[in-house]
Amino acid sequence: MIELLKVPSLLTVQDSGRRGYRKLGVPVSGFMDDYSARMANYLVGNPGDAPLLEFLLAGPTVRFNASAVFAVAGDVGVKLNGVPVEPWTSHWAKRGDVLEVGTLKSGLYGYIAFAGGIKCKPLLGSCSTYPKANLGKSLEAGDKLNLGYAVLTGKDGRYLPPELRPDYSAKEKTVRVVLGPGLDHFTEEGIETFLSESYTVTPESDRMGYRLDGKAIEHSERGADIVTEPLLPGTVQVPASGKPIVMMRDAQTTGGYAKIAVVATADLPTVAQSRPGERLRFEAVSVDEARELLIRREKILMAIRDFLDGKIHAYKINTGGEELIAFTKVEKE
Amino acid sequence: MKFKPLGDSALLVSFGEVIYEEVNDRIHSLAKAIEKAGFEWLMEVVPAYSSLLVVYDPIKTSYTQVEDAVKSFLDAGIESFEGRLVEVPVVYGGKYGPDIEFVAEHNGLTVDDIIEIHSRPVYRVYFLGFLPGFAYLGGMDERIATPRLERPRIKVPAGSVGIAGKQTGIYPLESPGGWRLIGRTPLRLFDPSKEPPTLLRPGDRVRFVPVDEDEFRELYEREWGERND
Repeated sequence: MIELLKVPSLLTVQDSGRRGYRKLGVPVSGFMDDYSARMANYLVGNPGDAPLLEFLLAGPTVRFNASAVFAVAGDVGVKLNGVPVEPWTSHWAKRGDVLEVGTLKSGLYGYIAFAGGIKCKPLLGSCSTYPKANLGKSLEAGDKLNLGYAVLTGKDGRYLPPELRPDYSAKEKTVRVVLGPGLDHFTEEGIETFLSESYTVTPESDRMGYRLDGKAIEHSERGADIVTEPLLPGTVQVPASGKPIVMMRDAQTTGGYAKIAVVATADLPTVAQSRPGERLRFEAVSVDEARELLIRREKILMAIRDFLDGKIHAYKINTGGEELIAFTKVEKE
Repeated sequence: MKFKPLGDSALLVSFGEVIYEEVNDRIHSLAKAIEKAGFEWLMEVVPAYSSLLVVYDPIKTSYTQVEDAVKSFLDAGIESFEGRLVEVPVVYGGKYGPDIEFVAEHNGLTVDDIIEIHSRPVYRVYFLGFLPGFAYLGGMDERIATPRLERPRIKVPAGSVGIAGKQTGIYPLESPGGWRLIGRTPLRLFDPSKEPPTLLRPGDRVRFVPVDEDEFRELYEREWGERND
């Protein structure tokens, strides 16, 4: 069991999300940055979708009431009993140990995974917190959480080299999108504006959606409002103000504003990790290109998991002036 | 009819931006047929008024394959969507429906007229969205149409029955909201411990049945396991 001693910001339990209930109006929820979250789980030997802690900007202070193995994913300072330890590394904690997770130096969401995962009773098939509908609650100091059973041996000391960690430090990030399906609600100039300007993330952004500020996107004579249609996380809606809103994991399931684009699934973590004041640029790709990006990302994640499990080696190589990570199989002795 | 990608993981089928029962029947028939086919790439389907979202796993299939698969169902025929008739008890006015006098004045009617006109039709649940368990209802009498509040309330209690323009609906959860509140139902519209978790489902028919405060309290206690005073 772990006990939360301090909770400086929004702290929730999340997993890969809720499936099959969108037609009843229930959002998918789940990890805002599924790339980092899955890596945190792999670091402690969990399946990628195991429930873990997601924090916004500043991490909690946690006391272990039993031995556990944990890993923190994020550009953040971590202390165990006051002694600095590495993030992106799995550590052994004993009964009575205190883990302090600081404030992210870059990015917006960080993750703390525990071997065995956080034990919870799934609601509608998921442990993801969506407090609005009483599907779990935001965690507070004093809350206690049980961990799932795991053999801890061999789960600590796993380390993700810096070149394999996601880097969210850029103040302006490029995000690939698939245009449409509401393009007839925009002028050609409006679409051009969306693809050429940069948009600033505003403080009115949360797990439900990121409101962006920048040059207004011009609607066609069809206007901004549509007959309510389904939408997904990543959908970019543009209301009459012309300022785009990117729907995120807790987004409502349907919406009444014209949709100019949808963020490629592989790039959704990049949006999630952009802080208020940072900027986004949108680059159009085809559906097939977006799918290729996701398949490539999945292959990398699987390779990272195998690397952390000691099944393959990772190398940094230089090819054609570009630095790449290469993976090779560990030869059995 | 149009097929368009909604990003790299969903196909949006649209029958035009219209609100007709016949079109909505087609949407629900198509949704059922796709669900029944048991595609291993299918994540879920989300119906709305005249559109349907088919969410798929892009690791397992491509957009083109999904579009072909969905097209193969289009000749399968349309079933009229037979939902249940759900009676929703409502206590109108008073502290439960603080805007009912405004709605009456705005439309040049009496409070009793509003109750009568609001509880007479059988409403159709076109789809659920906005909040878990929130039903988009069709069939409200336009004589009681009323614009939204200029300033939305910070907290609208769960079960509140409201009017917004030509629509009527029930807040399934406590939430902020700008609808004109005319009453409240003791029924629980969203309960995550139940399967399915929502009282109303797409295709259901809804009739509002006026009840008095005593009946409301009794039903509330039965439904929520606590008193509402």
